[in-house]
Amino acid sequence: MKKTHLAPLLLLLAACTLDEHPRDQIPEEQILTTATGLYRNTVATLYSYIGGDQDGQGLQGTCRGVYDLQTFGSDEAMLPTRGTDWYDGGLWQDMYRHTWTAGHDLMKNAWLYLYKVIALCNRSLQQLDSHRHILTATQLQQYQAEVRAIRAIYYWYLIDFFGPVPLVTSPDASMQEVRQSTRQQVFQFAVDELQATLPLLAPENSTHPGDYYGRVTQPVALFVLAKLMLNAQIYSGTPQWEQTIRYCNQLEEMGYRLEPNYEDNFAVHNETSVENIWTIPLDHHLYRSQQQNLFRSYHYRHAAAYGFTGENGSCATLTTLRIFGYDTPDVDTRFALNYWAGVVTDLNGDTVPDRNGRPLTYQPWAVQMDLSGTPYAETAGARMKKYQVDKNALKDGKLMDNDIVLFRFADVLLMRAEATIRCGRDAQADYDRVRLRAGMPTRPATLPNLLDERLLELCWEGWRRQDLIRFHQYRSPYQGDGQTAPIDETDGHTTLYPIPADIRALNSNLKQNPGY
Amino acid sequence: MKTQTGTFTSPQGTRHEVRTRKRRMLCTALMVLTVALAASAQEAKRDSIGKTMRVGYSDGKANTVAGAIDKVTEQQMNKGLVISSLDALSGQAAGVQVTSGGNQAAMMTAVRVRGTTSLTGANDPLVIIDGVISDLSTLSTIYPADIESFTILKDASETAQYGSRGAAGVIEVATKKGTESQFHISYNGTIGFESIYKRTRMLDASQFRQAATNLNLDYIDKGGDTDYGRSIERTGFVQNHHVAFGGGTEEANYRASIGMTEHKTVVETNNHRNYTAKVDISQQAFDKRLTVDLGFFGSIQKNNNLPFLQKLMYSAHTFNPTIPNGRNADGGYDQVTEATWINNPNSLLEMKNDDDNGHLNAHLNAEATLLEGLKLRAFASYSYSSVNNAHYYPTFVWSHGEAYRGNNKSEELLTNIALEYNLNLPTSNLQLMALGEGESQKVKGFYTTTTNFPTDAFGYDKLSAGATRLWDGTDSYSTDAHMESMLLRAQYSLADRYTLTGNARIDASSKVGKNHRSGFFPSVSGAWVISNENWMKRLTFVNNAKLRAGYGLSGNLGAIDSYNSMQLVQPNGLVPLEGTSATTLGIIRNANPDLKWEVKRTFNIGLDAAFWNERIALSIDLYRTKTTDMLYVYDVPVPPFPYDKLLANLGSMRNNGLEIGFGITPLQTKDMLLTINMNWSFQSNKLLSLDGDYNGQHLTAPQMKGISSLWGAGFHGASDVVMQIVGQPLGVFYLPHCNGLTTDASGARHYDVSTEKYICGQATPKATMGSNIAFRFRQWDITVQTNGAFGHKIYNGTALTYMNTLSLPNYNIMQGAPEKNIQDQTISDYWLERGDYLNIDYLTVGWTIPTHSRHIQSLRLSASVNNLATITSYSGTTPIINSSVINGTLGIDDKNTFPVYRSYTAGLSIQF
Repeated sequence: MKKTHLAPLLLLLAACTLDEHPRDQIPEEQILTTATGLYRNTVATLYSYIGGDQDGQGLQGTCRGVYDLQTFGSDEAMLPTRGTDWYDGGLWQDMYRHTWTAGHDLMKNAWLYLYKVIALCNRSLQQLDSHRHILTATQLQQYQAEVRAIRAIYYWYLIDFFGPVPLVTSPDASMQEVRQSTRQQVFQFAVDELQATLPLLAPENSTHPGDYYGRVTQPVALFVLAKLMLNAQIYSGTPQWEQTIRYCNQLEEMGYRLEPNYEDNFAVHNETSVENIWTIPLDHHLYRSQQQNLFRSYHYRHAAAYGFTGENGSCATLTTLRIFGYDTPDVDTRFALNYWAGVVTDLNGDTVPDRNGRPLTYQPWAVQMDLSGTPYAETAGARMKKYQVDKNALKDGKLMDNDIVLFRFADVLLMRAEATIRCGRDAQADYDRVRLRAGMPTRPATLPNLLDERLLELCWEGWRRQDLIRFHQYRSPYQGDGQTAPIDETDGHTTLYPIPADIRALNSNLKQNPGY
Repeated sequence: MKTQTGTFTSPQGTRHEVRTRKRRMLCTALMVLTVALAASAQEAKRDSIGKTMRVGYSDGKANTVAGAIDKVTEQQMNKGLVISSLDALSGQAAGVQVTSGGNQAAMMTAVRVRGTTSLTGANDPLVIIDGVISDLSTLSTIYPADIESFTILKDASETAQYGSRGAAGVIEVATKKGTESQFHISYNGTIGFESIYKRTRMLDASQFRQAATNLNLDYIDKGGDTDYGRSIERTGFVQNHHVAFGGGTEEANYRASIGMTEHKTVVETNNHRNYTAKVDISQQAFDKRLTVDLGFFGSIQKNNNLPFLQKLMYSAHTFNPTIPNGRNADGGYDQVTEATWINNPNSLLEMKNDDDNGHLNAHLNAEATLLEGLKLRAFASYSYSSVNNAHYYPTFVWSHGEAYRGNNKSEELLTNIALEYNLNLPTSNLQLMALGEGESQKVKGFYTTTTNFPTDAFGYDKLSAGATRLWDGTDSYSTDAHMESMLLRAQYSLADRYTLTGNARIDASSKVGKNHRSGFFPSVSGAWVISNENWMKRLTFVNNAKLRAGYGLSGNLGAIDSYNSMQLVQPNGLVPLEGTSATTLGIIRNANPDLKWEVKRTFNIGLDAAFWNERIALSIDLYRTKTTDMLYVYDVPVPPFPYDKLLANLGSMRNNGLEIGFGITPLQTKDMLLTINMNWSFQSNKLLSLDGDYNGQHLTAPQMKGISSLWGAGFHGASDVVMQIVGQPLGVFYLPHCNGLTTDASGARHYDVSTEKYICGQATPKATMGSNIAFRFRQWDITVQTNGAFGHKIYNGTALTYMNTLSLPNYNIMQGAPEKNIQDQTISDYWLERGDYLNIDYLTVGWTIPTHSRHIQSLRLSASVNNLATITSYSGTTPIINSSVINGTLGIDDKNTFPVYRSYTAGLSIQF
């Protein structure tokens, strides 16, 4: 009985289909039908990850990711504990005291972010390959070159932080295949890829609005090559000073030069800078990427004076104050451009009142790692200034129009000067160009002066950790704060961050860096 | 079957009761009425043994039911103040945990049947209203007085009928239909108020000044003295009105009702309103061979929500009390700019977050008797829901202001067709059923956000007043899911003693991976009515004794959204391209083409018994469930995956439990009746593993992961309190031990915390209890409902935060904190407390007024107090927090609980 009556039911069921027909998401095939579609969705799509608006995302401009590893792991800046604010489970104290462990959030965020972009690059390369019939041979080569160059840049960040990392170049790699290569091998891969793709990249300025805005063009690749060579001894054991000079020369030949005014590089409309080499385009109408570092640094009332919100966090360390000669007659002119210190003023030049109407005053010298219970818990530390205030900024001031400067020509001059000195030759001319532009008197172009100059010129730009490591001066800078005995860094283990514990838990092939 | 609770209040009862009462109403004598009411309670009890009842898709005699089910009829439903139909269920059935509004009014009522069996959050039971697949939020809009009964299917031998959706248990709701009677009309109404009796006590202005001065702090003093906690409070108000009428003949009848509820909670600006209308028509034709039922239900719910409840409570507690209440001289609100986690509570109340939800359902059921014993049933239902959301955050709380409008629309079409065959043999009975079902669910919606407002005057009513529309503030979505199912069911009963039931359901859904489209969910169960055995007949004091056992599989796909098994692209950002800004597309998650159902296997054994004319009734269930192929967002290695999360079926979890329900009637005379009903459930849960093979490779998720953490100043990151640990119950506290307080040189105290963490208790109760005591004396009755939970702990994050004097001067602190002078908020077991509680949910007194009118059938007045008292050792304001739902608030009292209030209501029921 059952059977006979079930037959129509079965027919009814069979008549319907259970295939999904998505409407608000679409299969990739639908958008990879033309050369334009391919470029947009395999190459251009990657640029939406260079900046970010969430923790851990983006190369710069966001919190708790790449930029924080570069900055708060060095003696340049710190996020002191201010009473109940900024303790965050000891996160920032660990960064400054170099007592981090493999369980630290920042390392995991950076790892996940950097490898996400690499995995997406691998997918893009596969898509380009499988749709090669749509493209001309030149288009295919150019598109692939751009993706490969982005991927190489991301591998550079990875070896800089983590040393030996897995080299994954295909989206089909299985989990077992993911094993570490040596730092030297990944370094060589990045160099080879950038060198191979260099001729195929557009020889165009990437910071001016137009067809190449924000993209990885020849000068961007050249800059990264110069950085790879500059740190080659650290990355691979073999110095490459002459190569550094060569790539710096090529950049100069492309027409980059110093802006007459330092601060123009960081203006609201800094797209016209002739000095910037690679930026993250920011525009509160057009893009999503944010600059959260000012928001994180401003005192609450300081930010409120601009109509923004501030988190009253990051500030300069005592080391930075000393190098800048803060509070001395010889204070570097760039201090006032990069830091808020003393009485805070709003855009009209009026003083910003504190909670009881007195002028809000930052106390640069009062800074220490744990400010809880001190009278200057809220006001200690010189704050980040660097970027011109954008009155039109939205989202608490984080969505502003000043493009974030990743690479610029002043760095190129300092790199060339350093490499030249290390080759035993004189680099006074390059060094002076940077000093004089800042309105500072010349100083002998020695290595110690150059290291200081890199901080003076490039503070808040995320280079200090790398520089200290290259100068073999990277060690826990905060000594004698009476709270923690400085950890033993004589083995230099802190020059590499640990492979994040959560990542190793999922991939037992990965070996931890020594010392962790 | 469980016993019936003996409350006496229903002006309308089940179909059976109404008939009973009608017959007896003719006498209209006072005493007779009360006897009738008592009698109907008893008759309902006897019903439970022999009556025909509907469970799942099939009708059957109650004594053949072999699974663990609980039926809560109108008589048992909670009295007192019942705002939502879910409130009516709280504490009435063993193993059913209703964490209702009450002190977490802003939180949706959470319902768990036999606790948590899935990790991914799909733990809400399936709700079926008159055969229509629905959800808890729709159920909450139905007016309680329109509900005839709840039937809760707890074990897989019954839930297997619902296949892939039944794993979290099923709540079947039967609403009232027309009856074959002359015209009748009834009114039900309650009106009442709510009053706060317990709140977190913070320093007043002079204490605040003193504490800040003692610590040498530079604080803001605006000269006022404001209790900001009270500034957001008010006396709550609640009213319900419901009118129902119906009538008809044996062949055709109808029932129609309208209802309205208004609830102004004890927190300013927080209001809920609900309007419902319902019509049911039934007609028989062709010598009663065909019955056609049409049901129509519509509701509109309007809510004024609190946009950021936790921030509001945190602000109300900790805002500087020296700042005078209300607006300042400039017409704005003074803020403590340094206190970034809070705002002036007055200004937060100006934030608007409103929604209105419209819901419409029409369904048609046709039942035709084709031959003797052979029935064909066809059912079709269409539901339409539309939710409009709007919010406006004024410029003085949200820099530049923000307005948002959104609409979400969902449509659901359900059809099924079933053939039933019933063969009656001399000593046995065979029932067969075959059912085919199809379901389609379409969801569409959009929203838009604008910001940069020149004035707050428009609120969310003029979006173009906002100068900027950000790219990520506007979006739309559309999904479309289908499911097709087939169910075969056979039941064989022998000699009224032995019943064997088998179900086999096949579900096929579009949401799972292509290769796993169909899932098979079988179940088998048996019942033995021992009391019908001849050798038992001698034991005349045994009215009923039934042993039952069942085993079955049910599934869970609540965690799977449409398209999760496909690798698709969607807009991922804006980039400069060819001189302009362009949207690019990209993948935004890892896809899992092997996605399938999570499966739960349950073994259940139960005993129902009743003795001495049913004056003692008992029901016991013992169960063991195992969830496998557990859906969970697993961590996967990056690289090679681009994203670190993957929804997959890997792990497993186990639940064991014991449920005991009993009812006793110690006193039963003509004038008096005392009934006591109680249910207990004990449960243990263990997360067995989070490992498995995916794509030929072994995946191991982290063995330990945070579930809930503390929030607020200084708690950003590394503040996990409740963890999910493999090998442990889901949701355990994992904290360092605190050896006490140490005092430093300055006299400040710190927690002396050891470095090692340990597992120090679970967040979910090991036992829960519901008890109902009802006493009647003549026309007066009194009912007390008490619920309790035991064996769990609560982290008092509120005290940890508010006792920290380092919060001064930007945040106020608690009474007693300056004396203790703790300058520390390190998380440890110091503030972990026992969560056991016994809560007197309500006390109701009713008076059934004797009437001599020919037209008034019954008239009853009642008065109730809800949330009468809580007995607990917990030191916070209330232990009734989220101890059941696995989410970011589990087990933590973290500055977000509503002040504790009682409700006082008066009710009137009248039936003509």
